[in-house]
Amino acid sequence: MTGGDGRSDPKRELWLAWYATVAFYSLYAVVFFVVTRTQPPGKPWYGPVEVAAWFSGHHRGLLVGFALIFVLGGLSATSIALITYSIRRMSVSRAFAYSYLILYAIAAVPGFLFICVAMTVGAMRPGRDPAVLRWLYDLGFLSFSGTMGVFLVGSLIWMTAILLDQNRVFPKWFGYMNLCNALTEVVVAPSWIFHGGALAWNGTIAWWINVVVFGLYTGVFITLLRRMILREDFGRGPLPDLAPTMSGPGEAAAEVAAA
Amino acid sequence: MTSAGGGTAVAAATGPATGSGHVPGQPDMWFFVVFESLIFTSYFCVYLFHRARHEGAFLQGQSHLVLWLGVLDTVVLLTSSWAVARCVQHARAGRHRPALRAAVLTAACGLAFLALKLVEWARLIHMGRTFTSSEFFQFYFFLTGIHLVHLLIGFVVLGVLVRRLSDRERPSQQAVETCATYWHTVDFFWVLIFALLYVVR
Repeated sequence: MTGGDGRSDPKRELWLAWYATVAFYSLYAVVFFVVTRTQPPGKPWYGPVEVAAWFSGHHRGLLVGFALIFVLGGLSATSIALITYSIRRMSVSRAFAYSYLILYAIAAVPGFLFICVAMTVGAMRPGRDPAVLRWLYDLGFLSFSGTMGVFLVGSLIWMTAILLDQNRVFPKWFGYMNLCNALTEVVVAPSWIFHGGALAWNGTIAWWINVVVFGLYTGVFITLLRRMILREDFGRGPLPDLAPTMSGPGEAAAEVAAA
Repeated sequence: MTSAGGGTAVAAATGPATGSGHVPGQPDMWFFVVFESLIFTSYFCVYLFHRARHEGAFLQGQSHLVLWLGVLDTVVLLTSSWAVARCVQHARAGRHRPALRAAVLTAACGLAFLALKLVEWARLIHMGRTFTSSEFFQFYFFLTGIHLVHLLIGFVVLGVLVRRLSDRERPSQQAVETCATYWHTVDFFWVLIFALLYVVR
């Protein structure tokens, strides 16, 4: 991609990170929902025998899916980098960006690595005592669904930065959407207590509603990050409404076609 | 529904003076109001679905709640909504001291609600009605708990409101209205929770 003047596009690196973000979230969705079928989660009330059968039924998917995550899960860093970049582009203190970056440096562990390790161990050691397998099953799903503190505080940091920002990097309604997302992160805490019902780790409230909100939130922030890159002028003041000279891949292709 | 009336009062009090179009406060805050309302609506639907399946058990659980405490909660919170609407009207007229007093009254009513809720929880837990004792109380503590989290955020929002009111250098009617909108929303959710948990038979 080159700009209209023929020089290299300074946005290329940003687009690289953005496409990596899209690739990561696509991989994440496909691995958890399709390949491993660990989402929607297994039943929280399963006993040892049912859990052993669950591992046996999911054996191949767990190995293939989580192998992909072990190889490519590091791509999650790109979305965190872009979000941190967005906060640095705001008129707010660098402390917000630093807090966000440090907090999310550990986000992958409760976010998906714990469940990957626990479930892969279970799948790779099928002959173990079913009681031990059940323990791994609980560890996997509880670590995945129940540990939302990182994302709760992270959303609040991003929200505060957006609401204080004068550079118009993100619309203010997205700041408030961060609060909506943060509040659904609170709701998953009861999944540690309940083995069934709306608040269990597969419950209507603790899982289904949360997944819908998180899915919308993720879709919106990926779209808004794209808009931010399109609008980025590499200055320090407010972001312009439209990219003045540089353009995104879609627009660049259109320009080439028009030429 | 009185809270909705409070919201209308705010809208009538501010209108074009804010220069923000047709809604009071920052239009973006209304995104929060709508989105959060949808989330609460989904919680209410789940509650009603479970209630319809085990109506007898839910009615039995409900009989352990003290209706007049719920009514008192509602009156206290509606008073706070009225106070924050007065605060917006005073601020719009440039009467800073009465506006500040109204904001303090709002916070005081919010604190009274918080205290009442804690008393109510303590009473129920003392009676052995806890988060895990029955499906009704699971929903009771969940809905009142998540509402209380919204109320606690409301105190931060009121802090912002008072700060913007006190800032004579950069007065912002829009910020005051945005904060008031949040407070009304929390009140509105309580009215629905009160109706569903305490009143519906």
